[in-house]
Amino acid sequence: MYLQTLADIFLKDSRYMYILGGLKFSIGVTLFATVIGVVWGTMLAVMRLSHFYPFKSMGGKIAKLNPLEGFSLAYVDIVRGTPAVVQLMILANIIFVGSLRHTPILVVAGIAFGLNSGAYVAEIIRAGIEGLPKGQMEAARALGMSYPTAMKEIIIPQGIKKILPALVSEFISLLKETSIVGFIGGVDLLRSANIITSQTYRGVEPLLAVGVIYLILTSLFTKFMRKVEGGLKVSD
Amino acid sequence: MIKIEGLHKSFGKLEVLKGIDKQISQGEVVAVIGPSGSGKSTFLRCINKLEEPTKGSVLIEGQDIMGRNVNINNLRERVGMVFQHFNLFPHKSVLENLTLAPMKVKSGKKDEVKEKALKLLERVGLSDKATAYPNQLSGGQKQRIAIARALAMDPHIILFDEPTSALDPEMVREVLDVMRDLASEGMTMVIVTHEMGFAKNVANRVMFMDQGMVVEDGEPAKVFENPTSERTKEFLDKVLNH
Repeated sequence: MYLQTLADIFLKDSRYMYILGGLKFSIGVTLFATVIGVVWGTMLAVMRLSHFYPFKSMGGKIAKLNPLEGFSLAYVDIVRGTPAVVQLMILANIIFVGSLRHTPILVVAGIAFGLNSGAYVAEIIRAGIEGLPKGQMEAARALGMSYPTAMKEIIIPQGIKKILPALVSEFISLLKETSIVGFIGGVDLLRSANIITSQTYRGVEPLLAVGVIYLILTSLFTKFMRKVEGGLKVSD
Repeated sequence: MIKIEGLHKSFGKLEVLKGIDKQISQGEVVAVIGPSGSGKSTFLRCINKLEEPTKGSVLIEGQDIMGRNVNINNLRERVGMVFQHFNLFPHKSVLENLTLAPMKVKSGKKDEVKEKALKLLERVGLSDKATAYPNQLSGGQKQRIAIARALAMDPHIILFDEPTSALDPEMVREVLDVMRDLASEGMTMVIVTHEMGFAKNVANRVMFMDQGMVVEDGEPAKVFENPTSERTKEFLDKVLNH
């Protein structure tokens, strides 16, 4: 009986516990990375959009240099231009060594994916804000609002609505991308499938099970976010 | 009330304003007319520093908008602006559009600000739209709300940047009526417009701009009946006799 085989694969010796543990780890890393990614991405976007010209008085080419914008641009280019797995391994094997080597893998992975995701989030936010009609900022400023007030009351609330679908995509990519933490020894969903395979010599079923779990997670999340989007559409 | 001296504005190599010296006193209703690209809108936008002048000074009630110690936000509280494309905040209800700035900028009390906003809505004839969102309004209604929003800050001066240019013809009237009321109540207004009838009948001063300069400046009757410059004659001939 195939059901018996399945039971042997997943239930015997409580092997499903690997998958539950992996699930917890994957979700943990994703949430951790999302928080870092959104905060860091917002900061990068603000830097990119800033009008900070500290060398204005010096004249010439350097007067037009905005170091914050330059940093943000370079950061986004580098992070988007290299594979996440390379960034992850650099962080784990070059940065988190010495006195930092006892940092939990969940934290190292969360930081790595958060720094990676921040670059994509920054571009999403920037596009959302730049896509708003210029008149919105002008109207707010003409009413006497300061730049931060105008951002907070007028620009960001409208921007968020616009970028939500793109942010949802980014979150889903992030969830799936965390499956590479096996490279630095993290036991996530995918790694848990590998462990079960090595114990049972069954390669297909654990992988399928993990694939289905990813799909369920992303579907639930998508469904939830569609509801949120629907709620935000009232004023459109 | 507004004193403009040697105002220049360039966008890169393009010189849009080539030295404007003007004074506008309290209660004046100034219509700024002229062909497209003559710098009318840029001139208007320099008055509240939405465009930063390249050279010269703009004094609002004695304060230079370019001054280092001048808080531009405080200054803008006193200078309202109405835009061609209304620029209402689409994520806020009509009432919130009116109350947002008085509450956030002037830290007004919620009840008082709201009461005042409702009065302003009544004044522009849109009391029934308080809970509506901007996308549910017609163009004329949007512009009347935009005027009410500017008024909610108790400005001393209101700048109008082609307030009726984006409207369907049958909606122009309702907006002009509101502006006419404002003018008769003594509000200081600077209006960039293509409505020659309005400039003639409501404004008490008309400026004609061409190529970054104010070419003609005077009472409407004088500017429209006896323009001194060739360029003004030519322009008026084109827009009035067709």
